[in-house]
Amino acid sequence: MLPIYICEDEGQIREAERLWLEKQILIENYDMEIALCTGRPEELLEALKGERRQGIYFLDVEFKGASMDGFGLGQEIRKLDSRGFLVYVTAFRELAFETFRYHLEALDYICKENVQGMYEGISRCLRIIAARVEAEQGERQKYFTVKTLDIVRHIPLSDILYFATSGRTHRIELHACRERLDFLGSMKELEERLGEGFLRAHRAYLVQVSQIEEADFKNRELVLKNGERCPFSRALRGKLKELFLKGKTV
Amino acid sequence: MNYWQVILGNFGSITLNLIFFIWMSWILLGRIPNRGGRRMALCLIYVLILVLIQSSLGALCYLKGVWKWNYGIGRFLWQYFVLAGGALLLRWMYQVSFRNCCLAAVMAEILCSYGELLSQLYVYGKFYDLAVLNQRQEYLFWMFVIRPGCLLLCSLVIHKSGMGDLYRNWMEQKRMHKGIIAFIALCPLIYIALETAGQEPEGASLLLPLALLMMTHMILAYVVRDQEQKQYIAAQQASLAQQTIYIEKMEQIQSEVRRFRHDFKNMTAGMYLKAQEGDIEALQSFIQEMTEDFDRQAGEQVRLLNQLANVRMTEIKGLLLEKLARMQKEGICCDLEVLRPFEATRMRSTDLCRCLGILVDNAMDEVRGRKDARIHLMISSREGCTTFRVRNTLCGEVDFRRLGMEGYTTKGEGHGIGLGNYRRIVEKYDFVFPFTAIQEGDFVQEFQIQEV
Repeated sequence: MLPIYICEDEGQIREAERLWLEKQILIENYDMEIALCTGRPEELLEALKGERRQGIYFLDVEFKGASMDGFGLGQEIRKLDSRGFLVYVTAFRELAFETFRYHLEALDYICKENVQGMYEGISRCLRIIAARVEAEQGERQKYFTVKTLDIVRHIPLSDILYFATSGRTHRIELHACRERLDFLGSMKELEERLGEGFLRAHRAYLVQVSQIEEADFKNRELVLKNGERCPFSRALRGKLKELFLKGKTV
Repeated sequence: MNYWQVILGNFGSITLNLIFFIWMSWILLGRIPNRGGRRMALCLIYVLILVLIQSSLGALCYLKGVWKWNYGIGRFLWQYFVLAGGALLLRWMYQVSFRNCCLAAVMAEILCSYGELLSQLYVYGKFYDLAVLNQRQEYLFWMFVIRPGCLLLCSLVIHKSGMGDLYRNWMEQKRMHKGIIAFIALCPLIYIALETAGQEPEGASLLLPLALLMMTHMILAYVVRDQEQKQYIAAQQASLAQQTIYIEKMEQIQSEVRRFRHDFKNMTAGMYLKAQEGDIEALQSFIQEMTEDFDRQAGEQVRLLNQLANVRMTEIKGLLLEKLARMQKEGICCDLEVLRPFEATRMRSTDLCRCLGILVDNAMDEVRGRKDARIHLMISSREGCTTFRVRNTLCGEVDFRRLGMEGYTTKGEGHGIGLGNYRRIVEKYDFVFPFTAIQEGDFVQEFQIQEV
């Protein structure tokens, strides 16, 4: 059961949120419960200590007289519940939601100035969360997690084409089907971490075997499914032939 | 003296020269990027090989009398050979363009010449026969005590004089005068020519090259100061433009408030009647409409100004104002988010403006003419990290494979240089991390700058 936490300093809105959430849980038969409804961020953080479950958080952005704002509260929650769903309920239309989403992976933001709109927003969020949780339960997708400075990104392993060194020390380029990024790391570490699914085709390239379409032995290049080409070392010629004979089952 | 003795002597003096050359280059080009221990070891090996080659070839030239060739041709050739070696060393160390390395090598050599000239005051008018022990000792004293001392003294003065900032500012200029580049490149040649020609009248051999060095220094200082003046004027103009836009926005808000005030009484009268009739639903929708209308009109402008107020770096503020004004003119929807004040960054402002400009221009090209498309700009400044993120609705197809390659474009002829340039600029910095993705039907370009 997913616990729901409400942190809103305005009593009436808080109560309206709680009632609407309870109503929705009952009507839609969601596997959720209201765990806490408070006006103080500190109380919410206290309640989260020792809690292991993934939670849903409906948070205000500004708290009168509190030591932190909604952004700070989100950061603290992320430390305790990295997979929780953060929803911001705010009176400010100018909320920098992209920044919230970028740094805190916030799910959505709801404007509370229009109560009807707020109810619709809450219902929409619950629907999305329920669908995501269901999808996650059936999902076997593996992710490659990479941290660049203060941001952690999760890239589906199956999307990764190859890793390449960029000529700058400890700098690795990740090439995926729809993503490209630089991060700090070493090829050796990556090779050990990723295991057999990846092939050290060249000193500077670590290629995902399932993404190889063909090997051009004449030019000593691997042709990937998206048409990109990566060089491979002379020493790998035998291993590649063996790999292709096996039908690339690695 | 035999060949090996000359090599030995050369080895010492060339090592000394290289040490000061590297020091001067460090003053000019700044901190050497840390590229790991292996690279550093290779660099030291390269320096050693360079010293050995120059020592042995120098000895050969000395014994074959190359220095005595007519018109100082032998010295010209030798000087440029040494400079080429130095430029290659800088390329290896700094990984910047070869042209910049050549320029820095010549400049470093020019700066070293100050110390060299000072040290020559000691040996001025003297001739040492190195075969004679006493004279050789005096020569060695000059070579390994007086000369390094003079070089050290001049290097310290140059280091403190802010020459490095002057040079780096000049290098940052968009248009570097070709004449000045040619003058700097030919400086060693002119220097030797003046030195040779200045043998008569007596005393001119030191004064003429010194005058040349001073002139080079002054030209560079003048050009940079001139550029700084232009930059200052540009900043003032940006600030004026910023104020103009600000005033325009304020006037828009004021006119909206005036209009709202005018309608307000009528609206409240209508609301009063609805309340009297007990029509709560109509009353609610009335209030909602009223607040939404106000928010849509005046709120948008207030929002934008609030975000812009958090951009404290003038160059970026100017760039954003210009782009936002253009987008408004072209009817492109754009949101700007700057949650926390953005004051400064480690990346050079010119490069930062170019990168951000390229990304915003590309986003504008992509969404131009599409009513349902929009651009979202985000600047996030947090402890130790600044992020610039440009997200736009993806209207066409993007060949991710070719993205960032020279000439790749979805916009037809004459385009496709931007992203290649962007990539090249970003790659210059060890502390900048680019990210490109297609997310939920949007094209996202971002770069993170590590600030500490």
